[in-house]
Amino acid sequence: MIRQQAADPQSRLRPARYRAAIVLISAIVIALVVSSILNYAYLDTIPGRASLYGLIAVALIALGTFILVQSYDRDRAKRRRHLIRAGVLIGLGVLLWLLIIDVFLFTQSAGPGVALVCTLACIPTTAVGLIVVRRLDRNHKEPWRLVLVAAAWGAIVATSLVIWGETIWEEGAQHALVPGVGLDTSLAFMAGILEELAKGLAVLLLFLVMRNEFDDVVDGIVYGAAVGLGFNFLESISYMTNIYSIFAPEGFGAAGAGVQWYARQVLGLFFGHATYTAFIGAGVGIARQLPSLRQKIFAIAAGFIVAISGHFSWNAWATHFPVDNTVFGLVEIHLRTLIMTGPYVAALLALLIFGIRYEGQNLLEQMHKEAATGQGAILPEEVLILSSPWRRLSQRMHALNRQGFRAYFRVSRLQTAQLDLAMERWHRERKEIDTPLEAEQQLRERVNRLRHWVPT
Amino acid sequence: MSTTPRHTPYDQLRVLYRTLLVFATVGAAILAVGVVQFAYFEPIGQSTGASAHIQGVYVYDSATGKTVGPDRYEFPRSGEFAAVVDWSSVPGNLTVDARWYDSFGSLVGQVGPATPGDLADDSVIPVRVPQGFHYVLPGTYTFVVERLENGQPVEVIGRRFAHVDRS
Repeated sequence: MIRQQAADPQSRLRPARYRAAIVLISAIVIALVVSSILNYAYLDTIPGRASLYGLIAVALIALGTFILVQSYDRDRAKRRRHLIRAGVLIGLGVLLWLLIIDVFLFTQSAGPGVALVCTLACIPTTAVGLIVVRRLDRNHKEPWRLVLVAAAWGAIVATSLVIWGETIWEEGAQHALVPGVGLDTSLAFMAGILEELAKGLAVLLLFLVMRNEFDDVVDGIVYGAAVGLGFNFLESISYMTNIYSIFAPEGFGAAGAGVQWYARQVLGLFFGHATYTAFIGAGVGIARQLPSLRQKIFAIAAGFIVAISGHFSWNAWATHFPVDNTVFGLVEIHLRTLIMTGPYVAALLALLIFGIRYEGQNLLEQMHKEAATGQGAILPEEVLILSSPWRRLSQRMHALNRQGFRAYFRVSRLQTAQLDLAMERWHRERKEIDTPLEAEQQLRERVNRLRHWVPT
Repeated sequence: MSTTPRHTPYDQLRVLYRTLLVFATVGAAILAVGVVQFAYFEPIGQSTGASAHIQGVYVYDSATGKTVGPDRYEFPRSGEFAAVVDWSSVPGNLTVDARWYDSFGSLVGQVGPATPGDLADDSVIPVRVPQGFHYVLPGTYTFVVERLENGQPVEVIGRRFAHVDRS
């Protein structure tokens, strides 16, 4: 076996980024706790039924805490597994509780029935959005669990984080400014800055904690867009229920909610929050591979600036776009979205296409190099197949036709492991990972194990 | 991915980085336009120290054009309401108006612009029910008395809020 030097086995970056993640998470938890207390005391008292539904969250947290305490009485080998279980249960409990608070704060105006219908209407469209976004990464798809965590952050944590910031800003502006364009501009800055910061925190945390699953600009765009889709999901429900409750006494509550659904879940599904936050992801993804700290900070800041400007420009100027009160108005509504958000989408697509090309060329190079080592994890004849999503699919379909779904999934796992190996090699060559060289060898062994189970 | 590795003579990551910086420059320019717009409509140093005395916000009887009952903050959706301004409290040389905005920021009631003397007969400023609607929309309403310069509101010299219930 050829001995390779580990890229950076004693990276000084690792503890630093974990420390940064701990500081960020602590700040977020404190902000959420304070926000919940203030919401309860001043914004709206949580109805009694929230406590009832909240029992599930309380039970999850209690069970998680129990396992956490128990884990320290077990032997060291089992402790890690129990700590993970406890962490997952407590995390689910916290998320569920936040969701309950969110649902009651945002949707109680129209009642739970309308809120449920609005939620059910938004689930399929958001699901389609997440599937499309995940499939954007043609070479190396992100795990569903992280894409869903990103979306859940956008829907639950980011929306909770902005409530108080936006309430204080809005109250202050309405008490101090002249109503009209000046006030509208101030509120547009508020939405752009606070909402993008809240959503961007999720992308930053993924970057700090899940570095192994955060490879480059393409991954950043996928995670950022997933956070944006999650935020858009809860915001759509909140606007739909609010508009319903306002216009229901006039007899067109459902129509108003339907218009909101179309505007936010169809027209604005990709032309809105998903695009803005994807720019933050792009910045973080580019920073992931840049060598100097200064460039990393510039790239992350650049992503935030683009996201905030996109969000700001829509909120500040969309109402100035002429929309007639005639049938042609329907065309103008679409034109408005296309003209105002279209350039941002086009710019993002340019980054995405260039990123996919960049990633693809480097993975191909690494696959050739791996095949040349003769260690058998990637065979020379496999490089052609692995380099094309269509040929990879064709190989899986071939397995499906010959030996059924089991073979299909085995081939799929093998291909994923081989691409993981190529990705690991790429990062190691660029000296941008801190895992030891053994990790690469383990990936190679994993490929060989999977190959053993795959039919020829 | 194409099938043969290409050794590009330039660092593609640098291209991505620079492209993002270009986009960020455009983004910063857009935000700067926003700041200029804000500064234009919220000019600094416009405070005259003048203030308008808003007597209160009351239930409004549209048949008689008069207000009824005590000053209050909260109103039912089915009711109408109006603000009452004491125009004699405003210096006579100013050009002013009074406006109601609903929670969407739409103008739903206005008198002026004129001098306070010309507005003496318009001390009751009601909220209009939007055209085609049966009731006023729920939410928080903002009532402002504004000083104008060159036809543009530059200073709020009186402000009140009122809340319309959803039911």
